[in-house]
Amino acid sequence: MLKGVWENVYGLLVEDGQLAVGIVVSLVVIWAAATYGGSALHENAGWLLLALLLALVVVNLYAAGHNARHKISA
Amino acid sequence: MDLVSLLIAATPAFIASAVEFVEATTIVLAVGVTRGWRAPLLGTLAAAVALAVIIALLGVTLVNVVPEHALKMFVGSLLLLFGLRWLRKAILRFAGIIALHDEEVIYQKELAELRAQGLSRSEFDKVGAVVAFKAVLLEGLEVAFIVIAFGAGGTQALNAAIVGAIAAGIVVILLGIALRHPLTMVPENWMKFGVGAMLSAFGVFWFAEGLEVQWPGDALALLPIIGAFLIVSYLSARMLAMILPEGAHVNARNV
Repeated sequence: MLKGVWENVYGLLVEDGQLAVGIVVSLVVIWAAATYGGSALHENAGWLLLALLLALVVVNLYAAGHNARHKISA
Repeated sequence: MDLVSLLIAATPAFIASAVEFVEATTIVLAVGVTRGWRAPLLGTLAAAVALAVIIALLGVTLVNVVPEHALKMFVGSLLLLFGLRWLRKAILRFAGIIALHDEEVIYQKELAELRAQGLSRSEFDKVGAVVAFKAVLLEGLEVAFIVIAFGAGGTQALNAAIVGAIAAGIVVILLGIALRHPLTMVPENWMKFGVGAMLSAFGVFWFAEGLEVQWPGDALALLPIIGAFLIVSYLSARMLAMILPEGAHVNARNV
């Protein structure tokens, strides 16, 4: 059981660390925008979070694709 | 809650839990086929009891004790961390960057390992019980996480999520018993793709609700959010196919 928990934590922090950091930064940015950014930002915080995360996924996968290409061509 | 509403609310937990139950069933089947059924069934039962206690303690405590907005933000964050990770892996699998999850390969590998360990006929098969217990508990913990995540909206949502997870467990176990073979016909990678998108969508929804954001159409807003994740995931898989047309099949840890 501990091995399984460790694999999940390792996977989240190391294998997908950049994605996890990106998610946490996105959440903090949206929390700050919704809390201190006025009513327009607050009303649209959900859609802004969605847009940020979608962009994060695309950028992360683009980088992963190029990393994989470097690995197999090396 | 009427039956139709319950079915709609229970469906996401049903689909997400089914994927995890398929993985657990593969291991339990491998143990049962190689070492007999008594020990793995007892191991499975023990794990099910442990999971019921975890869900009862953690789920009910979270829903009833933690303030609603804080709970939604916490659960939303967890859903995004795990959901986007699943979605990323599913996209990389579809693009051929990492290998597809294959229940048949896992089943054969497990069979070989269990046969290699030998079997004492005279005493209780501890190895079989422990392997089944660990498999059911580990996959079940993910089911518990799914139930708590989808049930974060309150008691009705929690009840619906529990119903969905239990129904998924019953369906998968009955199929496993009937077929006596891993459920390779279940489109697991497609389901993981959908589950990743669903968990991520619920994560966005709950986190924003925690910030007291009003979604247009309330829970109906989940549909365009899931749609956005699915469309972007499909386009990302196409993008990866353009970067690496032949695929790569590298270890997940290397990308």
